[in-house]
Amino acid sequence: MAKQLAFYYDQSVCTGCKACQVACKDDNDLSSGIIWRRVVEINGGDWIKQGATWGQNIFTYHLSLSCNHCEEGICLEVCPTGAMHKREDGVVLIDEDKCIGCRYCEWACPYEAPQYNDDKGKMSKCDFCYNYIDEGLPPACVAACPMRALDFGELSELQAKYGLVDNIYPMPDPSLTKPAIVITPHADAALAGAEGVSIGNVEEI
Amino acid sequence: MDTRDWALVIFTICAQMAVGSFIILGVVHFFVERKSGLQEADRMSDRALLAIGPVLVLGTLASFLHLGSPINGWRAISNIDSSWLSREILFNVLFMGAGAVFAVMQWRKLSTATIRNAIAVVAALIGVVLVVSMSQVYMIRTVPAWDTVATVLSFFTTTFLLGAMAMGTAYAANYTYMQRKSEPGCGPEGAQCDLLRYALRGLAVASIVLVGVTFVIMPLYMGYLSNDSAATQQSADIIVNDYGVVLGLRLALVFLGAVLLGGFIYRTASDPTRERWMINLAYTAFALVLISEVLGRFLFYASQITSGLG
Ligand code: SF4
Ligand code: SF4
Repeated sequence: MAKQLAFYYDQSVCTGCKACQVACKDDNDLSSGIIWRRVVEINGGDWIKQGATWGQNIFTYHLSLSCNHCEEGICLEVCPTGAMHKREDGVVLIDEDKCIGCRYCEWACPYEAPQYNDDKGKMSKCDFCYNYIDEGLPPACVAACPMRALDFGELSELQAKYGLVDNIYPMPDPSLTKPAIVITPHADAALAGAEGVSIGNVEEI
Repeated sequence: MDTRDWALVIFTICAQMAVGSFIILGVVHFFVERKSGLQEADRMSDRALLAIGPVLVLGTLASFLHLGSPINGWRAISNIDSSWLSREILFNVLFMGAGAVFAVMQWRKLSTATIRNAIAVVAALIGVVLVVSMSQVYMIRTVPAWDTVATVLSFFTTTFLLGAMAMGTAYAANYTYMQRKSEPGCGPEGAQCDLLRYALRGLAVASIVLVGVTFVIMPLYMGYLSNDSAATQQSADIIVNDYGVVLGLRLALVFLGAVLLGGFIYRTASDPTRERWMINLAYTAFALVLISEVLGRFLFYASQITSGLG
């Protein structure tokens, strides 16, 4: 059994089509306002002077992100009820019977993964489609991607295969929570905290 | 800021005011007892002590309103191992318990004064731990605007400032009540009258010092916010640009209430012919400082920005 399941995301081929986001929303019947997997659009660049003419170096890349089922998830530390818990395979889940809807995990998580369900008065979050995982099937988002940009597996194996990148802007300093994610960066991806780049679809994520 | 966060404003303000009041009450009682004896000290303190309970209960009830599933609220104490939120709730319950035990014993004069004092000291220490754990709840590494010593410092200045102001008001109300009942010692030259002046002078000085501390922390904190990281800059932006008026009002009111009126209270407390003035000033000062602290706490929650995508 896996010790720490993780997502792999090939940002260099992602087109930002949001099939993963929609598949997740549909499969998990998420109510409006709740999106467990979101595709962030990042824009950057400016006019640049080249000799006597003005050109530009603008660029856009996407970042598909859900809960990273972090190795040191701060959600697990701060949750006062123990509702937020880690399975043996590393998947971080919310036990709805225990959750009191205090929203502390929402404040603490730097990936905006826990999202509040107002109808239930409980927190909700990506559960790695553990029902599929347990049957040997891939999560809905992974299965849906037309570019095959998403995959999942044991964190150490993914790292051995694809490297260690886990902080593409606007992701936070990975030492905060040790996210279980491996990314193949887009050619234009600026590293976390870079300046001159901004999120293009703030209202969508 | 989410509307439900107002419940947290009420909870943190009430709990801190209760802790501060309890400690201030003890300190004043200590000095007053040395001045005029245990009996006079108890006459001054006992009714004021009873005012603390309802404040704490109100705050605790408000904290439940913050929860999406309040019925399950008792579970919040289950993660003492790692969650400061669990610890905060534990210490809140313990403080309430110890305070209640002391209040009953003090009111009924059960056991000896020494044992009662010992219980009061224990309750006060639990109160301090409660305020420390309240600040730890917010000092999480992913929220840099909160993760600073300014959080602890400002929680403690709020604790003692509101404690001093609330107890000044409670003493004044108790005194007015005794006067109306024509109890002894409440006229000019009376022992109670003397003690009230003595206490209000001390509390006025303490309040002015605490506001001084606030005015030192504030610019340092704003400097940190505007320099530390993208997340803290966003917090600074919220405080200065979105809520600049609230910030201005918060600072103006605490200055007006604690420093200006505090100064007047000090002067009128030295002049026996201006008793009504002194008492009304104490009430007004408390009201202004309370509003200021509520606004300050509102800004604290409103400026919450998590690093990264949060
Ligand atoms: S992404 Fe957020 S919610 Fe998910 S494990 Fe990490 S800290 Fe917890
Ligand atoms: S909202 Fe639920 S899962 Fe999140 S910290 Fe509170 S009790 Fe835990």
